Amino acid sequence: MLLRPSPLLQAAALLLALSGVAVAQTPPLTKQPAGFDGFNERVRQYLKLRNALPNQRTTKRQAQIVDRRRTLADAIREARPAAKQGDIFTPESTQQFLTVIRDTLQGMGSAKVRKTIRQGEPVSGVHLTVNGAYPVRVPRTTVPPTLLLRLPRLPDKLAYRIVGHDFVLQDTEARLVVDLIPGALP
Amino acid sequence: MRQLQHLAFLFLIVSSRPAAQLWAQDVTLPLKPGSVRFAVIGDMGTGEAPQYQVAERMLEFHQKFPFNFTIMVGDNIYGGRTPADMQRKFETPYKPLMDAGVQFYGSLGNHDDTNERFYKFFNMNGQQYYSFKKGNVAFFALDSDYLDPKQLDWLEKELANAGTDWKICFFHHPLYSSAAFHGSSTELRTILEPLFLKYGVQVVFSGHDHVYERVKPQKGIYYFNEGASGELRWGNLKKTDLTAAGYDKDRSFLTIEISGDDLSFQAISRTGITVDSGSIHRPGAPQPEH
Repeated sequence: MLLRPSPLLQAAALLLALSGVAVAQTPPLTKQPAGFDGFNERVRQYLKLRNALPNQRTTKRQAQIVDRRRTLADAIREARPAAKQGDIFTPESTQQFLTVIRDTLQGMGSAKVRKTIRQGEPVSGVHLTVNGAYPVRVPRTTVPPTLLLRLPRLPDKLAYRIVGHDFVLQDTEARLVVDLIPGALP
Repeated sequence: MRQLQHLAFLFLIVSSRPAAQLWAQDVTLPLKPGSVRFAVIGDMGTGEAPQYQVAERMLEFHQKFPFNFTIMVGDNIYGGRTPADMQRKFETPYKPLMDAGVQFYGSLGNHDDTNERFYKFFNMNGQQYYSFKKGNVAFFALDSDYLDPKQLDWLEKELANAGTDWKICFFHHPLYSSAAFHGSSTELRTILEPLFLKYGVQVVFSGHDHVYERVKPQKGIYYFNEGASGELRWGNLKKTDLTAAGYDKDRSFLTIEISGDDLSFQAISRTGITVDSGSIHRPGAPQPEH
């Protein structure tokens, strides 16, 4: 599930590093930064739970998509009744994410990355909670590809989101907040 | 209220029709037998009158230029996504076109929900990014809000194995744009352009900026931005050295015909004015003999 980058991506990562988008303190882009093993394992555990639940299916009826989203979200909440902030972004992995996020957004040559977030029409003033819904009317916002290249890859059903200053792990089919790091973005 | 909107629209049509301009019914496209014909719309899913009016012009144009499908460059649905919203923002305005056999192919914008990939009318087959072929043309729909390594790996493999003369990518964020509101997505360009160049992508369609712009070829690639098929940022196009042609005075849609090594285009406004037209010879293809 968590794959190695292709040679072209490694080259792209190197190019980005050389162009100054990356900064000296960050680990080489071709490697997963140390400390993500635990995060990856917790994602695998979540996926195990998640794969036992029904998936979305293609349909012409939007009502079915909405119903399945709600059913799925309820089932996930039921399966993780005690889920709380920090279960997946533990303090240790939070620190790793913060290092990568801040280096990518604040380092030398990061103007393009910040511009990507601005161009994605970022939202603010949205209060998100673990196991809570990612509001339907809130845009997805754009996650800069340079940042995605430096973070652990996620399985199809999960995505990173940036909401205001928060960094969010979202279940995309259920539109559910799986975990978040409040104030992760400067 | 609806009647008032209609009257206002009629007034707009009458008052904004310059006599010398080309009309939508004046098809500039060559209409060659066996050609690949499609329309491009973007940033349209408001459910408001201008989106419907653009859809009406598309239907009129379809009678003269029967295109088979439409690609959507994102922001397909703004705001809520109840079944009633999907009716109002997609199914009702485009029903006559769908009834005429026109298929719609979606790509996701920042205002879209990833679950739109399960909405059958968007032909995404449950995928956030996907490809399809029509004749000698391969289309690659990308999710430019989330260009993770997995998607980039997929794109590279798909481009390498396409086996078609034409390779066309479409996605929401423009790599080159002269609009003032967003402008060029330079970080995405750093990531995507090397792949496009390596694998010979010739044409890219995007939206996001709510104007129409045809960009001068950049490193041999042709870029069209059509982000005004429902939304509009009037007067937002600040023409630069990038701009080959543009239109920001009303909503618009784009139509394309590909025959052999030639791609022809015609952009049409909500009021039926042809605001841009021309043709492109496929880069790298032999020049036709005269």
